[in-house]
Amino acid sequence: MLLLSSVSLLLAGGSAAMSATNEAPSRTPQHWAFVPPMIAKTPSIKNQRWVRNEIDRFVLARLEKEGVEPSPEADRRTLIRRLSLDLIGLPPTPEQVRQFVEDCSLNAYVQLVDSLLASPHFGERWARHWLDLARYADTSGYQIDRPRPFAWLYRDWVIDALNDDLPFDQFTIEQLAGDLLPDATIEQKTAAGFHRLTLMNHEDGTDAEEFRCKAKVDRASTTGTVWLGLTVGCAECHNHKYDPISQREFYQLYAFFNNAQEVDIPAPHADDPARFERAKKAWNGEQSRLKTQLAELTQANDPKSADVKRQLARHRRTRPKNAEAKAESFLERTAPARANIHVRGDFLRKGEEVGTGTPGVLPPLKSRRADADRLDLARWLVAPENPLTARVAVNQVWQHLFGRGLVNTSEDFGTRGEAPSHPELLDWLACEFKSPLSLNVQRSTFNVQPAAPWSRKALIKLIVTSATYRQASRVRPELQSRDPQNLWLARQNRLRLESEIIRDISLAAGGLLNDDIGGPSFRPYLPEDVKKLGAAGAFTWTDTEGPEKYRRGLYIFAQRTVPYPASMTFDQADSSQSCTRRDRSNTPLQALTLLNHGLFVECAQSLGKRLVAMPQATTRARIARAFELCLCRPPTGQELARLEQLHRDQTRLPRSSTEAESLTALSQILLNLDEFMTRE
Amino acid sequence: MDAQDILTLTRRDFLVNAARGVGGLAFASLLGAEGLLASPVNPLTPKPAQFMPRAKRCIFLYMEGGVSQVDLFDPKPKLKELDGQKLPDSMTEKVRFAFLQKDTAKLLASPHPFRRYGQSGMEMSGMLPHLGSCADDIALVRSMHTEAFNHHPGELLMYTGSQLLGRPSIGSWVNYALGSPSQNLPGYVVLTAGRVPSGGNTMFSSGFMPSCFGGVMFRSQGDPVQDLSNPPGVTAEMRHLGLDALRDLNAMRHAVVGDPEIASRIASYELAARMQVSTPELTDLSGESSATLEAYGVNRDADGLKTQRGGGPDAFPTFAKNCLLARRMVERGVRFVAIHHASWDHHNDLDSDLLFNCRVTDQPVGALLKDLKQRGLLEDTLVVWASEFGRTPLGENRPSFNGRVSGRDHHPFAFSMWMAGGGVKGGQVIGETDEIGWNIARDPVHVNDFHATMLHLFGLNHEQLTYRFQGRDYRLTDVAGRVVPQLLA
Repeated sequence: MLLLSSVSLLLAGGSAAMSATNEAPSRTPQHWAFVPPMIAKTPSIKNQRWVRNEIDRFVLARLEKEGVEPSPEADRRTLIRRLSLDLIGLPPTPEQVRQFVEDCSLNAYVQLVDSLLASPHFGERWARHWLDLARYADTSGYQIDRPRPFAWLYRDWVIDALNDDLPFDQFTIEQLAGDLLPDATIEQKTAAGFHRLTLMNHEDGTDAEEFRCKAKVDRASTTGTVWLGLTVGCAECHNHKYDPISQREFYQLYAFFNNAQEVDIPAPHADDPARFERAKKAWNGEQSRLKTQLAELTQANDPKSADVKRQLARHRRTRPKNAEAKAESFLERTAPARANIHVRGDFLRKGEEVGTGTPGVLPPLKSRRADADRLDLARWLVAPENPLTARVAVNQVWQHLFGRGLVNTSEDFGTRGEAPSHPELLDWLACEFKSPLSLNVQRSTFNVQPAAPWSRKALIKLIVTSATYRQASRVRPELQSRDPQNLWLARQNRLRLESEIIRDISLAAGGLLNDDIGGPSFRPYLPEDVKKLGAAGAFTWTDTEGPEKYRRGLYIFAQRTVPYPASMTFDQADSSQSCTRRDRSNTPLQALTLLNHGLFVECAQSLGKRLVAMPQATTRARIARAFELCLCRPPTGQELARLEQLHRDQTRLPRSSTEAESLTALSQILLNLDEFMTRE
Repeated sequence: MDAQDILTLTRRDFLVNAARGVGGLAFASLLGAEGLLASPVNPLTPKPAQFMPRAKRCIFLYMEGGVSQVDLFDPKPKLKELDGQKLPDSMTEKVRFAFLQKDTAKLLASPHPFRRYGQSGMEMSGMLPHLGSCADDIALVRSMHTEAFNHHPGELLMYTGSQLLGRPSIGSWVNYALGSPSQNLPGYVVLTAGRVPSGGNTMFSSGFMPSCFGGVMFRSQGDPVQDLSNPPGVTAEMRHLGLDALRDLNAMRHAVVGDPEIASRIASYELAARMQVSTPELTDLSGESSATLEAYGVNRDADGLKTQRGGGPDAFPTFAKNCLLARRMVERGVRFVAIHHASWDHHNDLDSDLLFNCRVTDQPVGALLKDLKQRGLLEDTLVVWASEFGRTPLGENRPSFNGRVSGRDHHPFAFSMWMAGGGVKGGQVIGETDEIGWNIARDPVHVNDFHATMLHLFGLNHEQLTYRFQGRDYRLTDVAGRVVPQLLA
């Protein structure tokens, strides 16, 4: 262990020395984030028994310094719900909960983690986090907001990449320069669609060049935010006010994207033919139903035939097309990439011409040829000596598992960002992520193979198997004044779930969830007036019917000008720009949505039906079942009493409720509980 | 009393009440003005301004599409003389247009007579008699300018201070800065009439701010707010019983985990229940006198007028009702009301369409100003008339019109907007354009300047009102803006 640590120290020191020769006058290498991470000596701690892996040493060292005990481990029911929601975004079934609670084997927890990491829903859950960074949407934005019918090919690539645990360095390279890889595959070119997710204005009379420039500005600044945690976009109009990034350096980054021509490439999807066949069959069925109906009505001289005629005409327009899917990608021009600085950010005022380049404060770029291109940029981002990328990436993962990054400003590691709460832990994780060298307790105990470099699954596993992660989330009043934001991590955090997950778990509780993975986005029901809002009628929103409408929130068609209102209410990320962290607001509109929105009412009704269908069950048993389905735990005596009282009160109403109504009302309460929409 | 105390009290209350079989009335009042809603957990809790405010609320009248200032607000007799002539090339050389063909475009005089209104003798179109009757309260800015010459970027600039999608709307900024005095209604409400807004709801979005600051669109049909009503089959009694149980179960959980977030959740559900009561009361106009309804023109129809640009005759009653609703909202503490009307994009058929839109808007806006004034609300209610740009003094001649010139193209270099009430010095015209209305001749006011002035009236320094996102401190006025002192009373 000592030996390995000193090797990495040597490596880190070496790279620091190397980059020092290239020092630009503007450099401020003293800022922590520009110094390469080094594995610090693991802190010494007293309470060895609490430690499950290295993470815990760093956390406990801080707690012991403050004289604070960590929280006890959460109970098993909480743990399995927490893990399931964090790793796959779906609740465990009552049966899975029972098995886990009863499993006394030493490695039950790790086995659970492994099975969740292996679930194909893992890719969906973590893709959504990445899609926030990628400003993913199914339309192009602005007034016309034209649909991008195959944007989902990129979304599915992300899901697959996460499920396959594509190493983060390769994941990066394919998204920034997949098209430039030798013998690039269709998938790699699809991955390059990351930067096709910028906005485009198709409004009549626009200056197309203006919006092309805006897209490239977005590409440069989004790259800075997502991989470097730097606000390079601040240097679009002038030198960065706080960080050592000049306007010239911004346009050097911009130049990487100046040579990338937008192209749509044929990308037949394995699922296309099957999907087409299904759609065609459904369409034919509806067609013949309408025709028969029309014939009957016409025969009977029924005026309703006019209606059916119109329906038939509408239906004809929806005939499924065996579309050759086209992925959005790039094609590099052959001339070396150049760009003009836009004076004060105005694309019409062309300043000095610059070539491609990276900020001088960071280690030098190594290019394959005289002029560096996007592939060189991508490789530079994930080069071992880059001090930022690994830190930024592990911080993003940490943020999703604790609700807050070790660096709270996950978008800004610059001088104006917040300092890390546990700097040594951040560095240790970053080093471990890049090159898993260190031995840890977990591995020696359970004989786990060393992880692959840049493996996100390994990183997530490391974090969720720590004692730190496994703590209970109960608020500790004695710490409220000393550590109100729980920076010391003396407990887990309670986190309100994201908009998509609230939808998913509501559908799951109602037994309605369609958990199909991938494919085109679907359009949930919208009231007519909201539909009309979209793009001033430039295209129509047709509600998806059938089982597709119960798909996971991840697959809701993302129309930039009219984001799905129920999702926006729960702080879905705005898809017009990269979002590194969402809000978790708590508003009356959320209450109205969960109480009255058609979908959530349907979930409550459906859960109610599940309870009614329990043969010969008492009210108590039904309530208990509802708790298991929604909260993965039985009710307390007090809770049970209160709900029984509700059940009695309802039968005493002037118009007494039917059993189905009573159980729907009861279900609705469970689906509106703070605990239900919270990962504890 | 903080959230924690409330919950402690509440638990005790709940146990006592549960024993007595009493519902949650005591609880509801506990969460009232002195309770949770006034505690720091609610981001909409009213906050003091940075300095003495003149305006406490705003009604933002937005005319989407680009209002023709040469026809309505900025008389140019010289255009009559030059009608049908070309502009010198030097004036259009560096100018970008959306549709207009520079080589053959000719100046187009306004056929509409202007009139002098009020003691101030402010000149505005004869098509705006009601607005004219409020001239002495209005500060008309004839020297507005913007960089945006396409609709959506222009609308975004006017609503969010930036042409880029994703920034917070002006109503979000004001609510973020000052909170909302209304505990039963959203702090930022949007009302629309005419054609649907061309940018969807992006102009009213809170962007990167929390969604509680976003504009809530009130609908003219069905539930005023989406999902406001109980679902079919759920009676008020059933809902009431359910909500009581929900509150009690949340309180029990709070007793176990102690997270103040649960207290906020309970408060949100209480507020939602109050919204269900207060919103229908707000939108019910039956308590308004017939004189008021008449003055706003709530029951008017289009009187046979037609428009090419959507909305249809419904725009008449809807816009009028929106103006009256706006007054009712500001009375009830709503901080910011946007009334959005589309469309004024008069590339062609300007004569008939402009008359239609003036008839839709003039009477209700005039009535609103007078009504506010009579109720003593105008002095601290800022009323703004805005549009993303103006229209060219040149007639529009895009090739597809086949030589028929009957409208004007987008004109960002000089256009007119106005504000009134809320500390604005009325009865004055600010700025001046050249003799054909092409460029600004005096006192230019940029959109950022206009916003800076609006914030100033709210007692906010636009350079100090910032929101940090992605490591950058954003402002409504981006990196520019200066307060226009002439606008201030």
